[in-house]
Amino acid sequence: MFEATSLNRRNRQKEGLVRYLFLLMTLLLILPVLIILGVLVAKGGPVLSMDFLFTYPTDGMTAGGIFPALVGTVWLVTVALLFSVPIGVAAAIYLSEYAPDNWLTRLINLAIINLAGVPSIVHALFGLGAFVMFFGFGTSILAASLTLAIMTLPVVIVSTRESLQAVPMAFREACWNMGATRWQTIRHVVLPNSISGILTGVILEVSRTAGETAPIMFTGAAFFLPFLPQGIFDQTMAMSLHLFVVSTQVPGVPEHLPYGVALVLILMVLTMNATSIAFRMYLRNKKKW
Amino acid sequence: MKRIPLFLGLLAMLAAACGGGAGSDRVVLQNKGSDTLVNVAQAWAEKYKEVNPNLAVAVTGGGSGTGISALINGTVDIANASRKLKAKELEQAKANGVEPKEFIVGYDALAVFLHPSNPIETLTIAQLADIYGENGTAENWDALGIDFEGCKSGEIIRVSRQNNSGTYVYFKDAVLGKTGEYKLGSRDMHGSKDVVDLVAKTPCAIGYSGLAYATHEVKMAAIAMEAGSPPVMPSVESASDGSYPIARPLLMYTAGEPTGAVKEYLDWILSDEGQRLIVEKGYAPVRALQN
Repeated sequence: MFEATSLNRRNRQKEGLVRYLFLLMTLLLILPVLIILGVLVAKGGPVLSMDFLFTYPTDGMTAGGIFPALVGTVWLVTVALLFSVPIGVAAAIYLSEYAPDNWLTRLINLAIINLAGVPSIVHALFGLGAFVMFFGFGTSILAASLTLAIMTLPVVIVSTRESLQAVPMAFREACWNMGATRWQTIRHVVLPNSISGILTGVILEVSRTAGETAPIMFTGAAFFLPFLPQGIFDQTMAMSLHLFVVSTQVPGVPEHLPYGVALVLILMVLTMNATSIAFRMYLRNKKKW
Repeated sequence: MKRIPLFLGLLAMLAAACGGGAGSDRVVLQNKGSDTLVNVAQAWAEKYKEVNPNLAVAVTGGGSGTGISALINGTVDIANASRKLKAKELEQAKANGVEPKEFIVGYDALAVFLHPSNPIETLTIAQLADIYGENGTAENWDALGIDFEGCKSGEIIRVSRQNNSGTYVYFKDAVLGKTGEYKLGSRDMHGSKDVVDLVAKTPCAIGYSGLAYATHEVKMAAIAMEAGSPPVMPSVESASDGSYPIARPLLMYTAGEPTGAVKEYLDWILSDEGQRLIVEKGYAPVRALQN
């Protein structure tokens, strides 16, 4: 019959200790998230209503809703996606499917990693110099969205490239052996099999784009606009900047208002994420491997 | 490709989002500058939508310096400033073919804020210069001849503003004189509201900001021009009648003589209706208003 030696027991104890230590760390990790959500819901929840979402700010922004900021953020995110997704996906396809492993490719990869590390305020100043002034777009949705697009390009490229590379090489080889060209292979085999991973990148990008404040402050967001933007050359209000403004710039704002704005911003991002995650799961279920 | 339906969906959202906007004959005025004026500018823009629905005013803050450089670069219609244009800025404007035209749209009393536990009730301009000025000697509260128990270290914590703020420049001119400089080592805040918030929770602190930013959590000192003269509390009245020593004009600049929509808007700001809004925000009107 097997008797546990003292060594066995010590190892088992250690095993348990380590396991619970790591569990504790994981719980600590989600604690801030829960606290943030809890505080936002408790303090900002009471102001949420259809009126809050769909009316303009009134009384010097100390009352009323957030409609123009909400619409502005949708504009900024959409226009940024229109630029960054096609460019980012195309670049990732090139890097993953076509690029030879040489110094140029390595340089490009290095550049992408570095681009991801550039602080957002630097992107903001670049956007101000390049899009607002040099290209003459003025402070506009176009300038702000281009700045956001450049900032989030690395996210799209890296996540797309990784999901393309996750498609087994055998799939491509089988396709090539049937006489398909590289593009036909990408179009009919690689992309359909990696679309779920590409969407993950887009989700991450949407969340980051919606929340960024610095890059849009100089390039396209206004303190207050009494109208909704009509096109990409208009300025716009935005949720993130509006949150900054009502919490630091306007005297006499009731306490619950900034919390309400923050809650809507988070809910917006979560809703977008949830939609994309659902879509992704649907696509993944169709995966054959 | 499967991405396309997603894009169409987003585009549809976009189209739906902009469906509720104003008509296409809308005129947009760009109004940018002073953080002191930004809240009044916002209130004007908000109210003016009812006066003339076809004229929309886009308001952006950033500081007086930001507004003035935008005017020089020709990217705004109206620049807000809480200080006058500097000679150098005027030169730059002229070099760019811009002839700035100045309008006084209100007055602002610069209040000196103290923690409620601070026993000081009045300060003279000379004392302020001693606290804030480069050559000032007051480092501790007992240098002002008071016994301040609430402040353990006894050190005066000076709260100031970032240097592109019109408030920063005006306070320097009015208190330290044209050639005076600030003493190093102050806490420089990025907005008037931040100054008040910091003073409210720091017993040793002293700060300055527009009267409109005063809250119940801070105390305001009455200011005397010199040691013998009567100290005056900052208020809308004392700013308009000129008895409060550090009150400044709030300005709007246009490029050249205003015409059309810009003129209409400025005329309305200076009308009784526009001026009543500035009083509501805690600033002084340019003239006595009829009720």
